[in-house]
Amino acid sequence: MRLAVTGLSRAGKTVFLTSLVANLLAAGQGARTLPAVEAAVGGRLRGARIVPAETQSTPRFDASGHLLALASDPPRWPERTEDLSTLEIALEIEPRSFLGKARGMLAGNRSVTLELLDYPGEWLLDLPMLNQSYADWSRETLARLRRGRRAQAAAAFLAFVDALPAGAPAEESLARQGFSLYRDALRTCRDTLGFRFLQPGRALNPGPRGEAPLLWFFPLPERVTGELAPLLRRRHEAYLDDQRSSFFDPFFRRFHRQAVLVDALGALHAGEEAFDDTAAALAAVAASLRGGLGLFDLLTGQGVRRVGFAATKADHVPSRSRDALLGLLGDLVGRDPAGPLDATTSVHAIAAIRCTEDDVATLEGRPVSVVRGVLMEGGVMRKVYPGEVPLRRPDAAFWEHAFFEMPVFQPPRLDGAGRAGIPHLGLDALLAQLIGDLL
Amino acid sequence: MSDTPPRRPRILTEADDAPAQRLDFGWEQAVAPVAKPRASRRWSALGLAAAGLAVLLVGLSVLDVANFVTDQFARADWLGWVTLAVALLGFGLIAWAVLRELRGLWALEAVDAARAAFARNDYVAARAATLAWAARVPAASPSVNALRGANDLDSLRALLEAGPLAELDRATTAAGRVAAAQAVGATVVMPTPALDAVFFVWRGFRLVREVAAIHGLRPGIAGTFGLLRRALFEAGAVAAADVAIDAATQFVATHPLVKTAIGESGKGAVAARRMILLARAAARACRILPSS
Repeated sequence: MRLAVTGLSRAGKTVFLTSLVANLLAAGQGARTLPAVEAAVGGRLRGARIVPAETQSTPRFDASGHLLALASDPPRWPERTEDLSTLEIALEIEPRSFLGKARGMLAGNRSVTLELLDYPGEWLLDLPMLNQSYADWSRETLARLRRGRRAQAAAAFLAFVDALPAGAPAEESLARQGFSLYRDALRTCRDTLGFRFLQPGRALNPGPRGEAPLLWFFPLPERVTGELAPLLRRRHEAYLDDQRSSFFDPFFRRFHRQAVLVDALGALHAGEEAFDDTAAALAAVAASLRGGLGLFDLLTGQGVRRVGFAATKADHVPSRSRDALLGLLGDLVGRDPAGPLDATTSVHAIAAIRCTEDDVATLEGRPVSVVRGVLMEGGVMRKVYPGEVPLRRPDAAFWEHAFFEMPVFQPPRLDGAGRAGIPHLGLDALLAQLIGDLL
Repeated sequence: MSDTPPRRPRILTEADDAPAQRLDFGWEQAVAPVAKPRASRRWSALGLAAAGLAVLLVGLSVLDVANFVTDQFARADWLGWVTLAVALLGFGLIAWAVLRELRGLWALEAVDAARAAFARNDYVAARAATLAWAARVPAASPSVNALRGANDLDSLRALLEAGPLAELDRATTAAGRVAAAQAVGATVVMPTPALDAVFFVWRGFRLVREVAAIHGLRPGIAGTFGLLRRALFEAGAVAAADVAIDAATQFVATHPLVKTAIGESGKGAVAARRMILLARAAARACRILPSS
């Protein structure tokens, strides 16, 4: 059974996987780290272990290394993920039925293998690109780039493409310069403005193979019909083929369950445009994931059957605001009724590593719920008021306040050996919803 | 709390700028496995009666012997001392036998504890149990250093399976083959089926003790019965795997035509097969690692 952990960049996939692995291994030793999973299994989980590596060519997800870094003093959060990595965990489960028990006497307990995948979150946004032509993609991307704060960030690139003559030749220097300006614009949008709907993913995070010529394309206005347009279109097609054959088909498509992580609070704090951008990115990804199973998939048991959307970093809001965070995520993901063959979706508010505790402070003469934790910077204890969390997309008045960046908290005291797992919020409920029926 | 909380998020400044300790939610204590409450053991009527009988037998015999020794001292000192020495020797031998039984049972408990430690992936307990086991099993002595150096459970398991357990499995198979050959011979020479049965019970009992000794156990009578009970349970798994072969052997050996041709040796083949099965079942019951 393959569980893909997907999510936009900086949503916390690596930390999520580290916590998932540590808590599953601890639960396998009898620790009550995942009570909802325990309830779904009915107390029949007899063990969990990392499946030994064989001859895989994909790098291995270094769960113990990440845990050690988080537990060390001073603690270190994982760096930005630059490459694919996988890990398999085998859960040993005592059979439930009489027939299962009889079979268990012969073949031992049932083993469910969870195959986990970590990858750069930027690549997820290539998923909606797969069904778009170069012309459609160019039109939509340029329209997005010309709106609001993006236009400022992409001013140099927009000036470049707008200045291109209609008969622009297939000149290598032109293509390289255009790509370079486009990539700079994407980087500014991601790192400074907090936008997520940025394509293609490998322009921002080329992965271990580095930058290849097939990446050197950028959106072109329809009026440019010279030799440059076919060159960029060929590279766009080659890029999609490469992503399809090296990432989506071998890794992504063959998963049965998907956990999609979203930093909804980060999007909320990054302002109206960033929030709408995250919503658009998520809607596009959700539409691609919800695509519906074919009859063949249904008969052969292939395809994604359950998708769990999770608002990460839920410990950045006090417990009384988490229901609102859940509502907000539901609104972000969209509430289109699922078809009979569509994957079942659910929304969750989770913190893969709980770093704060609830507290109360007085603000403007009113007592308010806040969170309290130790900051990475300076190691001091601080109370943070995360602001009001709306139940759905907020109205214009909400965005009056300035951009806010949530400080990075230190993880709590952890056992580097992982014997007791990692403190979390809601990880068990998400996991139980995603794989509970298979246990 | 107010109905209209302030909207702007912010970090609240505090007077204390001293570095703080990392948060501790008491998570390790909160998730620690809870031991299941021990089921209160109620004595059955038969058990109570047996315990009472044992108390009466031992208690009264001790009292009786004590009275007798006192009487002997009243007759003559030297007679008293000799009677006391005889009584102490007799009771000492009985106590020694009981101690050996308890040691045999304790060794079985230690195997169970090691298997449980492996099953729940408890590296620390499994390593300690493995090293204690390796110290008393000669076949494991070449691997002790490697076992001591294994720093995770999978390495420990792999070293055990590849080294001492493979050696013990070979010795068990050899013991099973010897018992099987004797079973064939006994079927041919025994004059009556009743004597066949007696021989098989005795040989089976001995085989289980041999296999236990190969695995470093020295079970007494109670220990052997305990082991037999486990071997019968394990035999379910072993026999189920062998059911097709066993059925084929039974069919060939008991077919009227074949029976005419091979006579009593057909029954011998079935008996031999059962001995091999018993050896494998006993080995599964004695293994320090849960059988895969």
